[in-house]
Amino acid sequence: MKTKKFIFNKLIEITILFFIILTILFFLFRAAPGDPITRMVDPNLTPEDIQHLIAQMGLDQPAWKQYIIYIKNFFTGNLGHSFHYGAPVSSIILNRMPCTILLFTTSTLLAAFVGVFLGKIAAWKKGSRLDNFLSIGALLCHTLFIPWFALLVLWILAYKVGWFPLGGIISPELWIRDTSIFIKVLDVLHHMFLPLLTLFIIHLGSYLLLMRSSMLGVIKEEYIITARAKGLSNKVIRDKHAARNAALPVITSVGLSLAFSINGGALTEQIFTWPGIGRELIFAVSNNDYPLAQACFLLITAVVLIANLIVDLLYAYMDPRIKY
Amino acid sequence: MKNTKKRPENKNHYVERFTKGWAIYIKNPMGKAGLIILLVFMLMAIASFFVPLLGPVYDPMTGADPNITYSTGPSFQHWLGTDFIGRDLFVQLLEGAKVAFIVGLSCAFISVVLGTAIGMISGYAGGIIDTLLMRVADIFMVLPSLVILLILASLWELSIWVIIFIIAIMRWPSVSRIIRSQTLSLKSRPFIEASRVAGASNFRIIFKHIMPNVLPLAFLYMTFRVTSAILVEAALSFLGFGDPGQVSWGMMLQWVWSSGHMFQAPYWLLPPGICISLLTLSFYMLGRAMDEVLDPRLRKEGEGE
Repeated sequence: MKTKKFIFNKLIEITILFFIILTILFFLFRAAPGDPITRMVDPNLTPEDIQHLIAQMGLDQPAWKQYIIYIKNFFTGNLGHSFHYGAPVSSIILNRMPCTILLFTTSTLLAAFVGVFLGKIAAWKKGSRLDNFLSIGALLCHTLFIPWFALLVLWILAYKVGWFPLGGIISPELWIRDTSIFIKVLDVLHHMFLPLLTLFIIHLGSYLLLMRSSMLGVIKEEYIITARAKGLSNKVIRDKHAARNAALPVITSVGLSLAFSINGGALTEQIFTWPGIGRELIFAVSNNDYPLAQACFLLITAVVLIANLIVDLLYAYMDPRIKY
Repeated sequence: MKNTKKRPENKNHYVERFTKGWAIYIKNPMGKAGLIILLVFMLMAIASFFVPLLGPVYDPMTGADPNITYSTGPSFQHWLGTDFIGRDLFVQLLEGAKVAFIVGLSCAFISVVLGTAIGMISGYAGGIIDTLLMRVADIFMVLPSLVILLILASLWELSIWVIIFIIAIMRWPSVSRIIRSQTLSLKSRPFIEASRVAGASNFRIIFKHIMPNVLPLAFLYMTFRVTSAILVEAALSFLGFGDPGQVSWGMMLQWVWSSGHMFQAPYWLLPPGICISLLTLSFYMLGRAMDEVLDPRLRKEGEGE
């Protein structure tokens, strides 16, 4: 019952937060210099055309009325039309979502699992050569400049050696012909490898370091000494007793570092021309496509807020000592 | 642990604390390595002030070599080569070091001052002020800073100082959370009670008694803020939304990428990235080593206090 109440409260909190951000965004775009029409359209339009556009977009209404329309539109799923594509923003975003989700979840999960595994081993053999190697490697991964590393990967593995494509998500010539689904999947995986590798390496470092320090803390606990005294094997103590508890902070960090991962994800998508939300946002921002940029931003905000809630719940589920 | 709880008595106490901390710090190989790398970059940053004196050709922004019309590799005249309009890459690299220091240090300074002040107020005041400030912190904490900067950069042309300020605004919450919890634990200590009984004002208690005790922690967080600020600014410049009037490492990478030289000119692609990664690494190592000075539990067994 308490968990239900907790979720309910959290949901209300998230909704309020989202509204605040939505409102700030609205006024931010209003506060920008010049009116949106002059920023978006070509100078060849006649004054009548401009008048027509202004009326069509509701810009002749007072600000508070615009705000109400803006909120109403948001709830009816009408996010406006992209200036560049001419298509509804919502359809563009729905189109891009799967690519980002695919890349993002795969890389995060892979990095978290491998990071937890390696961090566990590093902490267990603290001070050994293996530990030093892993810790220094993780430190280097952690402070790498993401776009530069991505360019390096692209330069070496795609350009010099030529094992992987330079960008995109599919090879169109393969998809026009009737090819089996198996080949299509292989093709996507082939394109996904380099961005995946980049994101994986970058996230691996922080997960490894976190797991290592968390594990070092847990090893000193009394129940580990008890387990040793009981004569349990090293492997059982490490995997069943220590690692399970040590992994908890890593889970919260997945939520907390989400903002950081989104930054990295957008940069990686941009360099590998992966057709996801991050790249779309950068494209929209570069081309003054305001409706698209706003929608991408709101989507990212919503994802971050919901992910934080899920992490909270997961944490409570994994650690029964926590009660909400 | 017991020593650090003691209230600072006078100036000598600070000197003593510093030398003691320094002795622990310098024993840490990570701290030593970080400091050495940092010193190299500082020399680079200082050198950037003198290089333009060599002549207009060596200006990082406008100093195109008239004899060169395309990107060339390393030579005697241009140690790292030139970019596509004949500007010296080594000079740009030095200028980038300066910008990175300016961005990193000022961002860290603003965000830590802001975070410390808000954290102390929040922890000391409690109640509705505390709740309100921490909710605001929550909002800032979850938002990805690069995405916010991109949105703002699409609406306004951001100069380097505006960028610094926005990054700093985005980064105070994590500092203020830690300072807040530290303040909460300090608040219940006897010496705070004693000074309140003695008639000290809230203002005096915060600045005279709480601040000296949270400052080392704030200073530690400053080094971590430097790292993230440098990375965000570089990423923004790399995407082409940086201050167009300012050469930086991110900008150099943006140029090599957008001009299509990235596969042809490793002498241009490699140095800025290595510099960004190394500089952030050195600040990170500095922070980790300082962490050890401040938190005795992290030190290896046997070394003791």
